[in-house]
Amino acid sequence: MRRPTAFAAGEAPIRLYHVSKSFMPGQFALQDVSLEVQRGEFLFLTGASGAGKTTLLELIFAAEAPTQGQIVVLGRNVARLGGGAVPALRRRVGVVFQDFKLLQARTVEENIRLALDVIGTPRRAARSRVLAMLKSVGLQHRRFHHPLSLSGGEQQRVALARALVNEPEILLADEPTGNLDPALTIEIMDLIVEASTRGTTVVVATHDHSLIERYQKRVLRLESGRITEDLPSATVATGAET
Amino acid sequence: MNRVLMLILIAFSNSVRGIRSATTASSMAILTIAIVLILAGSATLLVENMAGILEEFGGELQLTAYLDDKTPIEEQRQLAQHVAAAPGVDHVEFVTKEQALDRFGRLAGGAELLAGLEENPLPASLEIHLRPEARTPEAIEILDAALDGLPGIDELAHSQEWIAGYARAVALFRTAVLFISIVLGLAALLIVANTIRLALYSRRDELDILSLVGASRTFVRVPFMLEGTLQGLMGGLIALLVIFFAFELVLPQVRMGLELVLGRADLRFFSAAESIRLVASGAGLGLLGSITALIGGRN
Repeated sequence: MRRPTAFAAGEAPIRLYHVSKSFMPGQFALQDVSLEVQRGEFLFLTGASGAGKTTLLELIFAAEAPTQGQIVVLGRNVARLGGGAVPALRRRVGVVFQDFKLLQARTVEENIRLALDVIGTPRRAARSRVLAMLKSVGLQHRRFHHPLSLSGGEQQRVALARALVNEPEILLADEPTGNLDPALTIEIMDLIVEASTRGTTVVVATHDHSLIERYQKRVLRLESGRITEDLPSATVATGAET
Repeated sequence: MNRVLMLILIAFSNSVRGIRSATTASSMAILTIAIVLILAGSATLLVENMAGILEEFGGELQLTAYLDDKTPIEEQRQLAQHVAAAPGVDHVEFVTKEQALDRFGRLAGGAELLAGLEENPLPASLEIHLRPEARTPEAIEILDAALDGLPGIDELAHSQEWIAGYARAVALFRTAVLFISIVLGLAALLIVANTIRLALYSRRDELDILSLVGASRTFVRVPFMLEGTLQGLMGGLIALLVIFFAFELVLPQVRMGLELVLGRADLRFFSAAESIRLVASGAGLGLLGSITALIGGRN
Protein backbone atom coordinates (compact mmCIF):
# COMPACT_ATOMS: atom_id res chain seq x y z
CA MET A 1 0.00 0.00 0.00
CA ARG A 2 1.28 3.44 -0.97
CA ARG A 3 2.16 5.73 1.94
CA PRO A 4 0.23 8.96 2.29
CA THR A 5 2.02 11.79 0.51
CA ALA A 6 2.99 15.06 2.14
CA PHE A 7 2.23 17.21 -0.89
CA ALA A 8 -1.10 18.28 -2.34
CA ALA A 9 -3.02 15.76 -4.44
CA GLY A 10 -2.84 17.67 -7.72
CA GLU A 11 0.73 18.83 -7.26
CA ALA A 12 3.40 17.53 -9.62
CA PRO A 13 5.89 15.34 -7.70
CA ILE A 14 8.85 16.82 -9.62
CA ARG A 15 9.10 20.58 -10.25
CA LEU A 16 12.17 22.50 -11.37
CA TYR A 17 12.20 26.30 -11.67
CA HIS A 18 15.07 27.93 -13.62
CA VAL A 19 17.56 25.40 -12.28
CA SER A 20 21.24 25.70 -13.12
CA LYS A 21 24.08 23.54 -11.93
CA SER A 22 27.73 24.38 -12.26
CA PHE A 23 30.60 22.21 -11.05
CA MET A 24 33.24 24.71 -12.22
CA PRO A 25 32.99 28.49 -12.42
CA GLY A 26 31.62 29.58 -15.78
CA GLN A 27 30.79 26.03 -16.93
CA PHE A 28 27.21 24.81 -16.54
CA ALA A 29 26.17 21.17 -16.52
CA LEU A 30 22.57 22.40 -16.49
CA GLN A 31 21.32 25.87 -17.39
CA ASP A 32 17.95 27.46 -16.68
CA VAL A 33 16.00 24.20 -16.66
CA SER A 34 12.32 24.45 -15.80
CA LEU A 35 10.24 21.31 -15.74
CA GLU A 36 7.24 19.60 -14.20
CA VAL A 37 6.63 15.86 -14.16
CA GLN A 38 3.13 14.83 -13.16
CA ARG A 39 2.11 11.96 -10.93
CA GLY A 40 2.19 8.65 -12.81
CA GLU A 41 3.88 10.29 -15.80
CA PHE A 42 6.66 8.54 -17.71
CA LEU A 43 9.41 10.80 -19.00
CA PHE A 44 12.35 9.95 -21.22
CA LEU A 45 15.35 12.21 -20.69
CA THR A 46 17.58 12.08 -23.72
CA GLY A 47 20.60 13.79 -25.18
CA ALA A 48 24.24 13.13 -25.99
CA SER A 49 26.80 12.19 -23.34
CA GLY A 50 27.52 15.22 -21.17
CA ALA A 51 24.18 16.86 -22.02
CA GLY A 52 23.23 16.95 -18.33
CA LYS A 53 20.91 13.93 -18.00
CA THR A 54 22.68 12.39 -15.01
CA THR A 55 23.09 15.79 -13.32
CA LEU A 56 19.37 16.39 -13.61
CA LEU A 57 18.62 13.03 -11.99
CA GLU A 58 21.18 13.70 -9.23
CA LEU A 59 19.50 17.01 -8.45
CA ILE A 60 16.13 15.28 -8.16
CA PHE A 61 17.32 12.70 -5.64
CA ALA A 62 19.34 15.31 -3.71
CA ALA A 63 22.77 13.90 -4.50
CA GLU A 64 23.65 17.42 -5.70
CA ALA A 65 22.35 20.84 -4.83
CA PRO A 66 21.41 23.33 -7.54
CA THR A 67 23.66 26.34 -8.10
CA GLN A 68 20.62 28.44 -9.00
CA GLY A 69 16.86 27.90 -9.06
CA GLN A 70 14.47 25.79 -7.04
CA ILE A 71 13.75 22.07 -7.13
CA VAL A 72 10.63 20.78 -5.40
CA VAL A 73 10.39 17.00 -5.10
CA LEU A 74 7.34 15.48 -3.43
CA GLY A 75 6.54 18.87 -1.94
CA ARG A 76 10.02 19.43 -0.45
CA ASN A 77 12.45 22.09 -1.61
CA VAL A 78 15.54 19.97 -2.24
CA ALA A 79 17.99 22.89 -1.93
CA ARG A 80 16.77 23.57 1.61
CA LEU A 81 16.68 20.01 2.90
CA GLY A 82 18.56 19.46 6.15
CA GLY A 83 20.86 16.47 6.62
CA GLY A 84 18.15 14.29 8.16
CA ALA A 85 15.54 15.10 5.52
CA VAL A 86 17.57 13.80 2.56
CA PRO A 87 17.35 10.11 3.60
CA ALA A 88 13.63 10.55 4.26
CA LEU A 89 13.18 11.91 0.71
CA ARG A 90 15.28 9.12 -0.82
CA ARG A 91 13.07 6.47 0.77
CA ARG A 92 10.30 7.83 -1.47
CA VAL A 93 12.47 7.90 -4.61
CA GLY A 94 13.77 4.67 -6.16
CA VAL A 95 16.94 4.93 -8.25
CA VAL A 96 18.38 2.51 -10.85
CA PHE A 97 21.80 2.87 -12.47
CA GLN A 98 23.49 1.50 -15.55
CA ASP A 99 26.07 -0.33 -13.40
CA PHE A 100 23.38 -1.85 -11.12
CA LYS A 101 25.14 -0.83 -7.86
CA LEU A 102 24.56 -4.15 -6.10
CA LEU A 103 26.54 -5.42 -3.12
CA GLN A 104 28.48 -8.43 -4.38
CA ALA A 105 28.96 -9.93 -0.91
CA ARG A 106 25.23 -10.09 -0.30
CA THR A 107 22.59 -12.35 -1.80
CA VAL A 108 19.85 -11.18 -4.13
CA GLU A 109 17.37 -11.22 -1.24
CA GLU A 110 19.71 -9.22 1.03
CA ASN A 111 20.35 -6.64 -1.71
CA ILE A 112 16.65 -6.02 -2.17
CA ARG A 113 16.03 -6.03 1.59
CA LEU A 114 18.50 -3.13 2.08
CA ALA A 115 15.81 -0.61 1.17
CA LEU A 116 13.54 -2.14 3.82
CA ASP A 117 16.28 -2.50 6.44
CA VAL A 118 17.00 1.23 6.48
CA ILE A 119 13.45 1.92 7.65
CA GLY A 120 13.50 -0.91 10.20
CA THR A 121 10.91 -3.12 8.48
CA PRO A 122 10.37 -6.22 10.62
CA ARG A 123 12.09 -9.33 9.22
CA ARG A 124 8.95 -11.27 8.41
CA ALA A 125 7.23 -8.38 6.63
CA ALA A 126 10.47 -7.58 4.79
CA ARG A 127 10.84 -11.17 3.63
CA SER A 128 7.33 -11.38 2.25
CA ARG A 129 7.73 -8.06 0.42
CA VAL A 130 11.07 -9.13 -1.03
CA LEU A 131 9.57 -12.43 -2.18
CA ALA A 132 6.66 -10.65 -3.83
CA MET A 133 9.09 -8.28 -5.54
CA LEU A 134 11.30 -11.16 -6.71
CA LYS A 135 8.22 -12.85 -8.15
CA SER A 136 7.20 -9.71 -10.02
CA VAL A 137 10.65 -9.46 -11.67
CA GLY A 138 10.76 -13.23 -12.24
CA LEU A 139 13.77 -13.96 -10.02
CA GLN A 140 12.33 -15.97 -7.14
CA HIS A 141 14.60 -18.90 -8.07
CA ARG A 142 17.68 -16.62 -7.70
CA ARG A 143 16.86 -15.50 -4.15
CA PHE A 144 19.98 -16.92 -2.49
CA HIS A 145 22.37 -16.26 -5.37
CA HIS A 146 25.04 -13.58 -5.33
CA PRO A 147 24.97 -10.83 -8.01
CA LEU A 148 28.14 -12.04 -9.74
CA SER A 149 26.48 -15.35 -10.58
CA LEU A 150 23.65 -13.51 -12.38
CA SER A 151 23.44 -12.22 -15.95
CA GLY A 152 23.42 -8.46 -16.60
CA GLY A 153 19.67 -8.48 -17.17
CA GLU A 154 19.08 -10.39 -13.95
CA GLN A 155 21.31 -7.97 -12.00
CA GLN A 156 19.37 -5.02 -13.37
CA ARG A 157 16.11 -6.73 -12.39
CA VAL A 158 17.49 -7.08 -8.83
CA ALA A 159 18.43 -3.38 -8.83
CA LEU A 160 14.94 -2.52 -10.08
CA ALA A 161 13.37 -4.73 -7.42
CA ARG A 162 15.42 -2.92 -4.76
CA ALA A 163 14.32 0.46 -6.13
CA LEU A 164 10.65 -0.56 -6.15
CA VAL A 165 10.34 -2.69 -3.00
CA ASN A 166 9.54 0.39 -0.89
CA GLU A 167 6.79 1.39 -3.31
CA PRO A 168 8.42 4.75 -4.12
CA GLU A 169 6.41 7.62 -5.53
CA ILE A 170 9.19 8.40 -8.00
CA LEU A 171 11.45 6.05 -9.94
CA LEU A 172 14.62 7.47 -11.54
CA ALA A 173 16.65 5.32 -13.94
CA ASP A 174 19.99 6.43 -15.35
CA GLU A 175 20.70 4.47 -18.56
CA PRO A 176 19.14 1.34 -17.00
CA THR A 177 19.60 -0.69 -20.17
CA GLY A 178 23.01 0.68 -21.18
CA ASN A 179 24.76 -2.61 -20.40
CA LEU A 180 22.09 -4.95 -21.75
CA ASP A 181 21.36 -6.62 -25.08
CA PRO A 182 18.13 -5.70 -26.96
CA ALA A 183 16.04 -8.58 -25.58
CA LEU A 184 17.00 -7.86 -21.98
CA THR A 185 16.52 -4.13 -22.61
CA ILE A 186 12.85 -4.68 -23.49
CA GLU A 187 12.43 -6.95 -20.48
CA ILE A 188 13.72 -4.25 -18.10
CA MET A 189 11.86 -1.40 -19.79
CA ASP A 190 8.57 -3.34 -19.62
CA LEU A 191 9.06 -3.67 -15.84
CA ILE A 192 9.73 0.08 -15.52
CA VAL A 193 6.70 0.98 -17.63
CA GLU A 194 4.63 -1.38 -15.49
CA ALA A 195 5.70 0.58 -12.40
CA SER A 196 4.47 3.81 -14.01
CA THR A 197 1.11 2.27 -14.78
CA ARG A 198 0.76 1.59 -11.05
CA GLY A 199 1.08 5.35 -10.39
CA THR A 200 4.82 5.79 -9.91
CA THR A 201 6.30 8.86 -11.59
CA VAL A 202 9.14 7.61 -13.78
CA VAL A 203 12.10 9.46 -15.30
CA VAL A 204 14.42 7.39 -17.50
CA ALA A 205 17.64 8.88 -18.87
CA THR A 206 18.66 7.17 -22.09
CA HIS A 207 20.31 7.85 -25.39
CA ASP A 208 18.72 4.77 -26.96
CA HIS A 209 16.33 6.13 -29.62
CA SER A 210 14.80 2.74 -30.27
CA LEU A 211 13.35 2.81 -26.74
CA ILE A 212 11.91 6.28 -27.23
CA GLU A 213 10.28 5.19 -30.47
CA ARG A 214 8.99 1.93 -29.04
CA TYR A 215 7.36 3.29 -25.89
CA GLN A 216 6.01 6.63 -27.23
CA LYS A 217 6.27 8.51 -23.94
CA ARG A 218 7.01 12.15 -23.18
CA VAL A 219 10.57 13.03 -24.23
CA LEU A 220 12.76 15.82 -22.89
CA ARG A 221 15.88 16.48 -24.94
CA LEU A 222 18.89 18.11 -23.32
CA GLU A 223 21.79 19.72 -25.20
CA SER A 224 24.73 21.28 -23.33
CA GLY A 225 22.64 21.52 -20.18
CA ARG A 226 19.63 23.21 -21.77
CA ILE A 227 16.23 21.79 -22.67
CA THR A 228 15.95 21.93 -26.45
CA GLU A 229 12.86 19.82 -26.94
CA ASP A 230 9.91 18.68 -24.80
CA LEU A 231 7.72 16.29 -26.77
CA PRO A 232 4.52 15.18 -25.07
CA SER A 233 3.39 11.60 -25.30
CA ALA A 234 0.18 10.56 -26.96
CA THR A 235 -0.35 8.17 -24.10
CA VAL A 236 0.86 10.27 -21.19
CA ALA A 237 -1.52 10.06 -18.23
CA THR A 238 -1.05 13.47 -16.66
CA GLY A 239 -2.33 13.47 -13.08
CA ALA A 240 -3.46 9.88 -13.49
CA GLU A 241 -3.65 7.59 -10.50
CA THR A 242 -3.09 8.94 -7.03
CA MET B 1 8.60 -6.38 16.27
CA ASN B 2 9.26 -2.77 17.18
CA ARG B 3 10.96 -0.80 14.40
CA VAL B 4 13.60 0.67 16.72
CA LEU B 5 14.46 -2.80 18.03
CA MET B 6 14.63 -4.02 14.44
CA LEU B 7 17.02 -1.20 13.53
CA ILE B 8 19.20 -2.09 16.55
CA LEU B 9 19.24 -5.75 15.47
CA ILE B 10 20.15 -4.77 11.90
CA ALA B 11 22.93 -2.45 13.18
CA PHE B 12 24.29 -5.25 15.38
CA SER B 13 24.21 -7.78 12.56
CA ASN B 14 25.90 -5.25 10.22
CA SER B 15 28.68 -4.65 12.77
CA VAL B 16 29.31 -8.40 13.17
CA ARG B 17 29.32 -8.69 9.37
CA GLY B 18 31.87 -5.85 9.31
CA ILE B 19 34.19 -7.59 11.78
CA ARG B 20 33.93 -10.87 9.86
CA SER B 21 34.57 -9.24 6.51
CA ALA B 22 37.82 -7.63 7.71
CA THR B 23 39.21 -10.24 10.08
CA THR B 24 42.87 -9.20 9.82
CA ALA B 25 42.25 -5.52 10.53
CA SER B 26 39.75 -6.36 13.28
CA SER B 27 42.15 -8.85 14.89
CA MET B 28 44.86 -6.18 14.89
CA ALA B 29 42.57 -3.72 16.65
CA ILE B 30 41.46 -6.34 19.19
CA LEU B 31 45.08 -7.37 19.88
CA THR B 32 46.23 -3.76 20.24
CA ILE B 33 43.54 -3.00 22.78
CA ALA B 34 44.31 -6.27 24.59
CA ILE B 35 48.05 -5.48 24.79
CA VAL B 36 47.44 -1.96 26.05
CA LEU B 37 45.01 -3.19 28.69
CA ILE B 38 47.33 -6.03 29.72
CA LEU B 39 50.14 -3.53 30.33
CA ALA B 40 47.98 -0.90 32.00
CA GLY B 41 45.95 -3.50 33.92
CA SER B 42 49.00 -5.39 35.24
CA ALA B 43 50.64 -2.16 36.34
CA THR B 44 47.44 -1.05 38.06
CA LEU B 45 47.14 -4.41 39.81
CA LEU B 46 50.74 -4.07 41.01
CA VAL B 47 50.15 -0.53 42.29
CA GLU B 48 46.96 -1.56 44.06
CA ASN B 49 48.75 -4.43 45.79
CA MET B 50 51.65 -2.15 46.75
CA ALA B 51 49.14 0.34 48.13
CA GLY B 52 47.44 -2.48 50.03
CA ILE B 53 50.71 -3.43 51.70
CA LEU B 54 51.29 0.23 52.55
CA GLU B 55 47.86 0.45 54.12
CA GLU B 56 48.50 -2.61 56.26
CA PHE B 57 51.87 -1.32 57.44
CA GLY B 58 50.56 2.19 57.97
CA GLY B 59 47.79 0.76 60.11
CA GLU B 60 50.22 -1.15 62.24
CA LEU B 61 52.93 1.48 62.51
CA GLN B 62 55.06 0.41 65.43
CA LEU B 63 58.30 0.93 67.27
CA THR B 64 60.47 -2.01 68.20
CA ALA B 65 62.68 -1.79 71.28
CA TYR B 66 65.37 -4.47 71.27
CA LEU B 67 66.26 -5.42 74.85
CA ASP B 68 69.60 -5.96 76.45
CA ASP B 69 70.36 -9.70 76.80
CA LYS B 70 71.81 -9.15 80.25
CA THR B 71 68.56 -7.78 81.71
CA PRO B 72 66.65 -10.46 83.60
CA ILE B 73 63.35 -11.49 82.09
CA GLU B 74 61.33 -10.23 85.07
CA GLU B 75 62.82 -6.77 84.63
CA GLN B 76 62.09 -6.97 80.93
CA ARG B 77 58.43 -7.68 81.72
CA GLN B 78 58.32 -4.68 84.09
CA LEU B 79 59.88 -2.56 81.36
CA ALA B 80 57.10 -3.67 79.00
CA GLN B 81 54.47 -2.47 81.50
CA HIS B 82 56.31 0.81 81.95
CA VAL B 83 56.48 1.44 78.19
CA ALA B 84 52.80 0.53 77.76
CA ALA B 85 51.92 3.49 80.02
CA ALA B 86 53.89 5.95 77.88
CA PRO B 87 51.89 8.63 75.94
CA GLY B 88 50.64 7.53 72.48
CA VAL B 89 51.19 3.82 73.11
CA ASP B 90 48.23 1.59 72.40
CA HIS B 91 49.68 -1.69 73.64
CA VAL B 92 53.01 -3.43 73.94
CA GLU B 93 53.79 -6.98 72.88
CA PHE B 94 56.67 -8.61 74.73
CA VAL B 95 58.59 -11.02 72.45
CA THR B 96 61.04 -13.24 74.31
CA LYS B 97 64.27 -14.54 72.79
CA GLU B 98 62.62 -17.94 72.33
CA GLN B 99 59.56 -16.47 70.61
CA ALA B 100 61.83 -14.44 68.30
CA LEU B 101 63.73 -17.62 67.40
CA ASP B 102 60.49 -19.49 66.81
CA ARG B 103 59.19 -16.72 64.51
CA PHE B 104 62.39 -16.66 62.48
CA GLY B 105 62.32 -20.44 62.12
CA ARG B 106 58.83 -20.25 60.66
CA LEU B 107 59.94 -17.88 57.88
CA ALA B 108 60.72 -19.53 54.56
CA GLY B 109 64.31 -20.81 54.79
CA GLY B 110 64.72 -19.56 58.37
CA ALA B 111 65.01 -23.01 59.94
CA GLU B 112 67.93 -23.92 57.64
CA LEU B 113 69.76 -20.71 58.57
CA LEU B 114 69.45 -21.47 62.30
CA ALA B 115 70.36 -25.14 62.01
CA GLY B 116 74.09 -24.62 62.57
CA LEU B 117 73.80 -22.23 65.55
CA GLU B 118 74.53 -23.41 69.09
CA GLU B 119 73.18 -20.30 70.80
CA ASN B 120 70.08 -18.11 70.15
CA PRO B 121 71.45 -14.85 68.66
CA LEU B 122 68.10 -13.06 68.62
CA PRO B 123 67.33 -10.50 71.34
CA ALA B 124 64.07 -10.16 73.23
CA SER B 125 62.04 -7.18 72.08
CA LEU B 126 59.08 -4.97 72.82
CA GLU B 127 56.75 -4.35 69.87
CA ILE B 128 55.19 -1.02 70.70
CA HIS B 129 51.88 -0.43 68.85
CA LEU B 130 50.85 3.20 68.56
CA ARG B 131 47.45 4.79 68.88
CA PRO B 132 46.17 6.19 65.52
CA GLU B 133 46.57 9.82 66.71
CA ALA B 134 50.19 9.10 67.67
CA ARG B 135 51.17 7.86 64.19
CA THR B 136 52.74 11.17 63.20
CA PRO B 137 56.45 11.95 62.81
CA GLU B 138 56.29 14.47 65.70
CA ALA B 139 54.57 12.08 68.13
CA ILE B 140 56.97 9.29 67.23
CA GLU B 141 59.92 11.60 67.82
CA ILE B 142 58.67 12.51 71.34
CA LEU B 143 58.11 8.84 72.21
CA ASP B 144 61.48 7.98 70.72
CA ALA B 145 63.18 10.50 73.05
CA ALA B 146 61.24 9.23 76.06
CA LEU B 147 62.25 5.62 75.52
CA ASP B 148 65.81 6.18 74.38
CA GLY B 149 68.19 5.58 77.24
CA LEU B 150 65.75 3.66 79.46
CA PRO B 151 67.70 0.96 81.26
CA GLY B 152 67.30 -2.42 79.59
CA ILE B 153 66.65 -1.00 76.09
CA ASP B 154 69.54 -1.71 73.76
CA GLU B 155 68.23 -0.21 70.53
CA LEU B 156 65.08 1.44 69.15
CA ALA B 157 63.95 0.73 65.59
CA HIS B 158 60.93 2.12 63.83
CA SER B 159 59.36 1.54 60.44
CA GLN B 160 58.33 5.16 59.91
CA GLU B 161 61.05 6.16 57.47
CA TRP B 162 60.77 2.98 55.50
CA ILE B 163 57.00 3.41 55.22
CA ALA B 164 57.33 7.05 54.17
CA GLY B 165 59.79 6.07 51.42
CA TYR B 166 57.56 3.24 50.31
CA ALA B 167 54.54 5.56 50.21
CA ARG B 168 56.48 8.00 48.04
CA ALA B 169 57.44 5.15 45.70
CA VAL B 170 53.82 3.96 45.45
CA ALA B 171 52.60 7.50 44.66
CA LEU B 172 55.30 7.93 42.03
CA PHE B 173 54.58 4.55 40.52
CA ARG B 174 50.84 5.28 40.47
CA THR B 175 51.45 8.53 38.58
CA ALA B 176 53.76 6.78 36.12
CA VAL B 177 51.17 4.04 35.51
CA LEU B 178 48.47 6.63 34.90
CA PHE B 179 50.67 8.54 32.46
CA ILE B 180 51.77 5.41 30.58
CA SER B 181 48.17 4.14 30.46
CA ILE B 182 47.02 7.41 28.92
CA VAL B 183 49.79 7.32 26.28
CA LEU B 184 49.14 3.66 25.46
CA GLY B 185 45.39 4.29 25.45
CA LEU B 186 45.83 7.10 22.93
CA ALA B 187 47.94 4.84 20.72
CA ALA B 188 45.27 2.13 20.87
CA LEU B 189 42.59 4.69 20.11
CA LEU B 190 44.42 5.81 16.96
CA ILE B 191 44.91 2.23 15.81
CA VAL B 192 41.21 1.45 16.29
CA ALA B 193 40.33 4.70 14.51
CA ASN B 194 42.54 3.69 11.59
CA THR B 195 40.99 0.22 11.46
CA ILE B 196 37.51 1.70 11.31
CA ARG B 197 38.67 4.27 8.75
CA LEU B 198 40.00 1.43 6.57
CA ALA B 199 36.69 -0.38 7.01
CA LEU B 200 34.86 2.79 5.95
CA TYR B 201 37.09 3.03 2.88
CA SER B 202 36.78 -0.63 1.90
CA ARG B 203 33.01 -0.48 2.29
CA ARG B 204 32.46 2.86 0.53
CA ASP B 205 30.37 1.19 -2.20
CA GLU B 206 28.10 -0.25 0.45
CA LEU B 207 27.84 3.16 2.14
CA ASP B 208 27.00 4.82 -1.17
CA ILE B 209 24.27 2.27 -1.82
CA LEU B 210 22.91 2.62 1.71
CA SER B 211 22.79 6.37 1.24
CA LEU B 212 21.04 5.84 -2.10
CA VAL B 213 18.24 3.77 -0.56
CA GLY B 214 17.67 6.36 2.16
CA ALA B 215 19.77 5.18 5.09
CA SER B 216 20.11 7.85 7.76
CA ARG B 217 23.54 8.90 9.05
CA THR B 218 22.76 7.09 12.29
CA PHE B 219 21.91 3.89 10.42
CA VAL B 220 25.25 4.09 8.60
CA ARG B 221 27.34 5.14 11.63
CA VAL B 222 25.98 2.97 14.44
CA PRO B 223 27.28 -0.36 13.04
CA PHE B 224 30.80 1.12 12.85
CA MET B 225 30.50 2.38 16.42
CA LEU B 226 29.25 -1.03 17.53
CA GLU B 227 32.10 -2.64 15.59
CA GLY B 228 34.67 -0.57 17.52
CA THR B 229 32.90 -1.27 20.81
CA LEU B 230 32.79 -5.02 20.12
CA GLN B 231 36.49 -5.04 19.19
CA GLY B 232 37.27 -3.16 22.43
CA LEU B 233 35.11 -5.53 24.45
CA MET B 234 36.93 -8.54 23.03
CA GLY B 235 40.31 -6.88 23.65
CA GLY B 236 39.25 -6.16 27.25
CA LEU B 237 38.15 -9.74 27.86
CA ILE B 238 41.41 -11.11 26.44
CA ALA B 239 43.38 -8.71 28.68
CA LEU B 240 41.42 -9.75 31.77
CA LEU B 241 42.03 -13.45 31.06
CA VAL B 242 45.76 -12.94 30.37
CA ILE B 243 46.24 -10.88 33.56
CA PHE B 244 44.30 -13.48 35.58
CA PHE B 245 46.38 -16.41 34.36
CA ALA B 246 49.64 -14.46 34.72
CA PHE B 247 48.63 -13.53 38.28
CA GLU B 248 47.88 -17.15 39.15
CA LEU B 249 51.19 -18.24 37.59
CA VAL B 250 53.42 -15.58 39.16
CA LEU B 251 51.67 -15.33 42.53
CA PRO B 252 53.35 -18.35 44.27
CA GLN B 253 56.86 -17.01 43.51
CA VAL B 254 56.03 -13.45 44.54
CA ARG B 255 54.24 -14.61 47.67
CA MET B 256 57.32 -16.58 48.85
CA GLY B 257 59.57 -13.53 48.40
CA LEU B 258 57.17 -11.18 50.14
CA GLU B 259 56.71 -13.54 53.07
CA LEU B 260 60.46 -13.65 53.52
CA VAL B 261 60.76 -9.86 53.55
CA LEU B 262 57.52 -8.75 55.17
CA GLY B 263 56.40 -11.80 57.07
CA ARG B 264 53.17 -12.09 55.06
CA ALA B 265 51.80 -11.52 51.56
CA ASP B 266 48.11 -10.73 51.18
CA LEU B 267 48.01 -10.18 47.43
CA ARG B 268 44.69 -9.90 45.65
CA PHE B 269 43.35 -9.99 42.08
CA PHE B 270 40.89 -7.44 40.67
CA SER B 271 37.47 -7.41 42.32
CA ALA B 272 34.41 -8.11 40.14
CA ALA B 273 33.78 -4.37 39.77
CA GLU B 274 37.41 -3.70 38.83
CA SER B 275 37.33 -6.56 36.29
CA ILE B 276 34.19 -5.12 34.71
CA ARG B 277 35.87 -1.69 34.66
CA LEU B 278 38.87 -3.14 32.80
CA VAL B 279 36.69 -4.79 30.14
CA ALA B 280 34.50 -1.68 29.91
CA SER B 281 37.53 0.53 29.38
CA GLY B 282 38.39 -1.68 26.38
CA ALA B 283 34.89 -1.19 25.01
CA GLY B 284 35.21 2.54 25.67
CA LEU B 285 38.51 2.69 23.82
CA GLY B 286 36.95 0.91 20.84
CA LEU B 287 33.93 3.20 20.83
CA LEU B 288 36.09 6.33 21.08
CA GLY B 289 38.33 5.04 18.27
CA SER B 290 35.37 4.51 15.96
CA ILE B 291 33.89 7.91 16.81
CA THR B 292 37.28 9.49 16.00
CA ALA B 293 37.28 7.68 12.63
CA LEU B 294 33.71 8.70 11.84
CA ILE B 295 34.36 12.35 12.72
CA GLY B 296 37.29 12.34 10.31
CA GLY B 297 35.46 10.24 7.71
CA ARG B 298 33.07 11.23 4.95
CA ASN B 299 29.99 9.59 6.44
